[in-house]
Amino acid sequence: MAIIRAVNIHKKFATVEAVRNVSLTVEQGEVIAVVGPSGSGKSTFLRCINGLETITDGEIYIDEELLEKRTHGRAHVHLSKEDRTRILLKTGMVFQRFNLFPHKTALENVMLAPVNVKNESRVAAAQKARSLLEKVGLGDKLGEYPARLSGGQQQRVAIARALAMEPEIMLFDEPTSALDPELVEDVLHVMIDLAKSGMTMLVVTHEMGFAREAADRVVFMAEGEVVEVAPPEVFFKSPESPRAQQFMRSILQQG
Amino acid sequence: MEDALLRIAGWMPALLQATVITAKLTVISVSVALVLGFFLAIGKISSNPLISKPASAYVFLFRGTPLLIQLLFIYYVLPELFPVFDLKDPLMAAYVAFSLNVAAYLAEIIRAAIQSIDKGQMEAARSLGLTHGQAMRLVIIPQSYRRMIPPICNEFVMVLKDTSIVAIISLPDLAFKTSQIAATKSSQLVYLPAAAIYLVLTAGFTILFNWLEKKFSLYE
Ligand SMILES: Nc1ncnc2c1ncn2[C@@H]1O[C@H](COP(=O)(O)OP(=O)(O)O)[C@@H](O)[C@H]1O
Ligand SMILES: [Mg+2]
Repeated sequence: MAIIRAVNIHKKFATVEAVRNVSLTVEQGEVIAVVGPSGSGKSTFLRCINGLETITDGEIYIDEELLEKRTHGRAHVHLSKEDRTRILLKTGMVFQRFNLFPHKTALENVMLAPVNVKNESRVAAAQKARSLLEKVGLGDKLGEYPARLSGGQQQRVAIARALAMEPEIMLFDEPTSALDPELVEDVLHVMIDLAKSGMTMLVVTHEMGFAREAADRVVFMAEGEVVEVAPPEVFFKSPESPRAQQFMRSILQQG
Repeated sequence: MEDALLRIAGWMPALLQATVITAKLTVISVSVALVLGFFLAIGKISSNPLISKPASAYVFLFRGTPLLIQLLFIYYVLPELFPVFDLKDPLMAAYVAFSLNVAAYLAEIIRAAIQSIDKGQMEAARSLGLTHGQAMRLVIIPQSYRRMIPPICNEFVMVLKDTSIVAIISLPDLAFKTSQIAATKSSQLVYLPAAAIYLVLTAGFTILFNWLEKKFSLYE
């Protein structure tokens, strides 16, 4: 069953069309790596799926429920706030800059939404938060404020925070791009474990290692469009399109 | 010198009595203005123009006219137009004028502090399913407190000094009392202890706010 079905998505900002006619289906349990040069619309596409941006054209289904259908910005579905929130909660988001709540401890960051959105009791939420933080290797940092955690630790708290809402799919927007190189491994390790546990994941990343090890498909975007979709071993060895070949060369030069 | 000290000591009871009025006027007006300013700030940020436009108009009106005129308006003009608004007591009129005026300035301070919070915070909160209101209440506003404390302290000290304009409605605050003593005792020496008292009050408020700022930065 498809967890995400995005059909002919367009997203125009005032002057740029950031996403152009992108269609993508993510099946349950699938892990998809989205790669592409900076400014190719990867973040915008992800943000459209979890409602942080509003698409201009296209359809988005989450768990086969229609979340959004628009033509030229005009909406064809009008969900109640409750329905919209319920559907969007099937997606969990991890940001490049972590966006932890700095005035809350690691434990409180993870508990906040279960308590306030799902009305879980504080005791139950704390118990779940503790076990999630243990799972991401931070069982000894429950009471720490984000400012006292490294970037890698903060990002792992952010992953636990998103998981606490028990999403059907996890969206990651360059989760390791803001990290010092020596901290990347810990975060990727958590993500690979998550993939192995069967979580459906859509991951914007330039970490070829992660894509090779965990991804079922690589989606290559350029200038707002999906240019190529292939299994990682095929994509990284012999990309078909000239733009993907050029992108791979630039990545390999940097790496 | 000894004679001067003795004379100053003799004025102190009267000066301290006047200080109570100055301090009360400052603390009460700023406290009321904080509550009013908070709602004005939330109003200005609102996406509903029926709320944001009046809030903006209020702030524009009270920042765009002199406090002195606002005070005279409330004490003299308003009762003349509408007798029900006769506050009679000049201290009451001063409370009202200062509260309304300071609220406009604090609204801008509070709004700026709230809007300075990184927009990734709202996005993270919304992506976790919090409503806009919950995100403001639980995530954005608590983080803004620390950022508004220094400018609020600044405003506090400004208000403390601005209270001296209440002489115009014959309210015996510290500045008014001081000039009275200076005139009747024909000695300018009295300005020395008066300035010292203003400094002590300023120092007191500053220490209090520094403590508050530390308390709210525990997580940094
Ligand atoms: N809020 C915005 N307003 C205007 N233009 C934007 C906005 N967000 C992104 N863009 C533009 O959309 C394009 C795609 O950006 P983005 O999705 O961030 O790309 P990527 O994540 O692949 O680097 C870029 O040209 C960017 O400048
Ligand atoms: Mg991006």
